[in-house]
Amino acid sequence: MAVRKNANGLTPSEVAELREAFEASYQLGDDRGYGFLAGIHGLPLPVYCQHGSILFLPWHRAYLYFLERALTDALRAARGDRTVAVGLPWWDWSSDVAHAEGVPGAYLPTDDATNPLAAGPVALGPSDLQLVRDNLPGAISDGDDPVTLRDPDVPDELPRQTTVQRVLSSTTFAGFTQLLEGIHNGVHGWVGGAMSAVPIAAFDPVFWAHHSMIDRLWYLWQLSPLGRNPPASLLDRALPPFPMTVRQTLDISILGYEYAAQVIG
Amino acid sequence: MATLATARAGHNDQTRVLDLAFPGDAGQAPFSRADLVVTGVDHSTLSYEVRVFLNNPDATAETPRTADQGYAGRYTVFGHGGCYGDEGHCDVPEPSADATDLRPRHPLTPLTTFVTITGALQRILAAGQALRTVTLVPVSLTPRRADRAPAPELLEFDDVSLQTYLTATDADQVTIA
Repeated sequence: MAVRKNANGLTPSEVAELREAFEASYQLGDDRGYGFLAGIHGLPLPVYCQHGSILFLPWHRAYLYFLERALTDALRAARGDRTVAVGLPWWDWSSDVAHAEGVPGAYLPTDDATNPLAAGPVALGPSDLQLVRDNLPGAISDGDDPVTLRDPDVPDELPRQTTVQRVLSSTTFAGFTQLLEGIHNGVHGWVGGAMSAVPIAAFDPVFWAHHSMIDRLWYLWQLSPLGRNPPASLLDRALPPFPMTVRQTLDISILGYEYAAQVIG
Repeated sequence: MATLATARAGHNDQTRVLDLAFPGDAGQAPFSRADLVVTGVDHSTLSYEVRVFLNNPDATAETPRTADQGYAGRYTVFGHGGCYGDEGHCDVPEPSADATDLRPRHPLTPLTTFVTITGALQRILAAGQALRTVTLVPVSLTPRRADRAPAPELLEFDDVSLQTYLTATDADQVTIA
């Protein structure tokens, strides 16, 4: 069982393990690796992600599931240890610490510029890279092996807890997902750089912490008295390219992860 | 309902001003929530945000986002930043009338979004006034903050309507850990 924790509450050893997992995944150039999985969201084509769609939450839950599993596989292979499991931390951008500091410390550049959570490799072909550089200057670095860039806004522009509470007070799935996606959009713009554009956002490691927060809010709403399933007509919809239906995303315990409510010590 | 086609150009052609009256001819029903619903939103371009001001047709990107300026909220469009396919790849086809066409919709199908403007609208009504105009102030969300600027060219939509509801109250709030 993978346990997802608050990114601002990770211990040094948990941060080190997460970094090791991402770094191991970066080294895989095939369909087990980070480049392949990050590319599912947008580039290289086709664009699979679901935005402005009632499938936004189920699709991204499936997406996180596959990335989390891939990170665990990569870490296990790197360590030769079949017992480790990676949980994708959530970035609570509505928290007091986020409004003071912005991006969680674990995802910030380190003095020696070796933090794999500060930027991700953008594994695209030359023609896609050229288009990204032409259309989105400042999204990725120069050179043959570009990585994602960021240019965050001031921390206090992040979504507020009152806004989150309004989302959690939704009484229909359609209303909930629309409100939450709107907040999600704003955070993508807040981070800037690669995160500000659909085709390359998922190459930035902080994408996964942001979406873990989105998924966690869906989970909390599901647990609440106001939580509702998606309409029955949606439940058997597929979520390509993932071999899952909407119905199969509804119970996170079946997907093998959970959200830590509180971590002490 | 107001459309982009009927919107007036605002300050330096950088904003769009919509005539939207509330209460209208039908009078005012009680409401606890008011949404400005925007349909047909294009998201093929750079990401951008739209700041919404009520009864302030002179609002610009420099206008403070404060209640006294009529600021009501903002919505963000998470954009694709251009087309990455061959010619025609990003042309959104008309919805298919073929019942056997099970393919997913085009990723750039225009979307519907909304911004909740309850507080700002209630302030106007509490002052004994009526809503007359809604000013949309689009600002690009480019990857580099230094490049961000008023961006009327990104603001593409079909129509805007004000929808009011009687909904959940504070007593229904969920407490999160």
